Amino acid sequence: MKSIRLYLIIALLSAVTLGNFIATVYGYRQSSDEAEALLDTQLADTAALIRTMRPARQIVSPPPSERLAFQTWSSDGTLIQRSANSGLAPITLREEGYRNENFEGYRWRVLSVFDQQSGQWLMVAERIDIRLELIDNIIMRALLPIVLSLPLIAAIVWLVVGNGLSLIGQLANELRTKRADDLTRLNTSDPPVELAPVVDAINDLLRRLDESIQRERRFSSDAAHELRTPLSAIKVHVHNLKQQLPENSEALQTLDRDLSRLGHLIEQILLLYRTAPEHYQAKMQELDLHKLAQTVIGEVYDDIDRKHQTVSLGGTPQTIVGDEASLIILMSNLILNASKYSPEGASITVNVDREELGIWLGVTDSGPGIPITEISQVFDRFRRVGGDRHDSAVEGVGLGLSIVRHIADLHHANISMQNNDDGPGLTVGILFPPDMTVATNVGKKSQ
Amino acid sequence: MQVLLVEDDQSLASGLCKALRNEGFVTNHVALGKDALHAVSVEPPDIVVLDLGLPDMDGLDVLKRIRASGSQIPILILTARSSIDARVSGLDGGADDYLSKPFETPELIARLRVIERRLSSTKESAIQVGEVSLDTLSRQVLCRGEPVELARREYMVLKSLLENCGKIQTREQLESRLYSWGEEVSSNALEVHIHHLRKKLGTDFIKTVRGVGYTVRKP
Repeated sequence: MKSIRLYLIIALLSAVTLGNFIATVYGYRQSSDEAEALLDTQLADTAALIRTMRPARQIVSPPPSERLAFQTWSSDGTLIQRSANSGLAPITLREEGYRNENFEGYRWRVLSVFDQQSGQWLMVAERIDIRLELIDNIIMRALLPIVLSLPLIAAIVWLVVGNGLSLIGQLANELRTKRADDLTRLNTSDPPVELAPVVDAINDLLRRLDESIQRERRFSSDAAHELRTPLSAIKVHVHNLKQQLPENSEALQTLDRDLSRLGHLIEQILLLYRTAPEHYQAKMQELDLHKLAQTVIGEVYDDIDRKHQTVSLGGTPQTIVGDEASLIILMSNLILNASKYSPEGASITVNVDREELGIWLGVTDSGPGIPITEISQVFDRFRRVGGDRHDSAVEGVGLGLSIVRHIADLHHANISMQNNDDGPGLTVGILFPPDMTVATNVGKKSQ
Repeated sequence: MQVLLVEDDQSLASGLCKALRNEGFVTNHVALGKDALHAVSVEPPDIVVLDLGLPDMDGLDVLKRIRASGSQIPILILTARSSIDARVSGLDGGADDYLSKPFETPELIARLRVIERRLSSTKESAIQVGEVSLDTLSRQVLCRGEPVELARREYMVLKSLLENCGKIQTREQLESRLYSWGEEVSSNALEVHIHHLRKKLGTDFIKTVRGVGYTVRKP
């Protein structure tokens, strides 16, 4: 994976190192030229000083220092005076100026000066190896800090780059901690110029996503209205038609059945859509699941009684934090499913109880159950047990359990489904986790 | 019985008018909320059947304005909205009943009959379910034509069950009708009343829905 930080650090350090290197080389050369010139001037000063010394009795005098040597020649070529380390031969040409010469086993920088007054040649020499050592010392002192500062610069670059990139880190963190259903703007206030387009683009995307979800929500409620009203009209007209015909024709009965199938399908599709976690706006509150089960059984009792089935509710009052409207849908779906897929006279048992892992809502029927191989698939949309070979006398579109799953997800509840051990039938269970069952901070959980 | 139908969908409205007239209701139809308010103020009907999605104003506002004018006309709401919230706000707004579209026409007629019976309760005070009839005025109960003697609380339980025939009455609902606030209720008092009623009316008349409550099946 590419790292901006690594890239910036390597690039910046390379640039700084290269810059320093060039500066050092250039500085070295400049400084050494300067130093050479300085030492040459010094040599000239030494020459002037020696010239003022009138020749003593001795021609050979000890050198003023190990690194210096001198000779004085008369114009006719007689050695008048010399330092002990300079030998008898002329150490350079009788021609004014600086030259590099070899004598006495060393290389020297030599200045040759002609004195008009005395008519003598003065030659002063300085050992080049010592000069260079001197120059190197001076330059090294000047350049060392530049070299030594490199690690410091590296550390600063590391910190500055890291700090600069931390804004990206903050943005990433804000995005990471954003809830899936939170489509509000990023609240990164005053982002840096470079990040502003990113933040703007994300906010724009969030806004459009929010709009499209809002649009879909509106569509679902509009569709509800637009579909239910004409369906009602058709039903009324069919009802009126029935009244006019002498006896209920088979065609009308089929029409009636198809109409209620259509109505059921529309309701289920709308419900499936509305209970999708990304659309549903749950109003979480404390409620008694047992009491809610009583209400729901009361509401669906007609359908159960029509099939001469019995229903009973077991267990005890249990408080959970949940969304009442959707839980009613969940329970009536489960109970009606149990009724629908069980034969006439079957018994349906609803149970609400506290278990070790949470609060359990179970709906047990005495119907045929579901083949083990199909249990995992029944929650798929439009899936009915037995596929198209399903007994067509049973109305249904196969959305009920998908809706149940949506609502269970909304409550972070687990769904289980198993055929009964002791006899025919199926038990569908919803296990509400403990954090949805504890009555703490209920007020905050709303919305 | 005069019914004012407030519904903007022409096809549904014409079908409903026909169905209601067939059932003997005198039915008038308006499509707008303001027309409904006008009709209610000029010539008050006996019952208003009100659609919530009207083109000119929200049906709930129509409901509130009718109630604000002091009118107690029974109002039955028809709506394509079906969420629990819409139901609650409809009933809170002063509606007497509520039907979600798409509804079964016989169901609408049955609900209107219930309201009609309530309006004319002074004339028709008898509730008849199967072989049992109960006269709310004379407090007389007949089973297969024979008078049955009932204690006061047995009578109240029976009345509550007959009035809500076909629906389950939960223990709580029944007990709240029998006892006033703070009155001591022994845990099996209700079972005792039901037991006595079954002895007098036959064991199958009142059905137990275990864990939920009791019901009297529609004949």
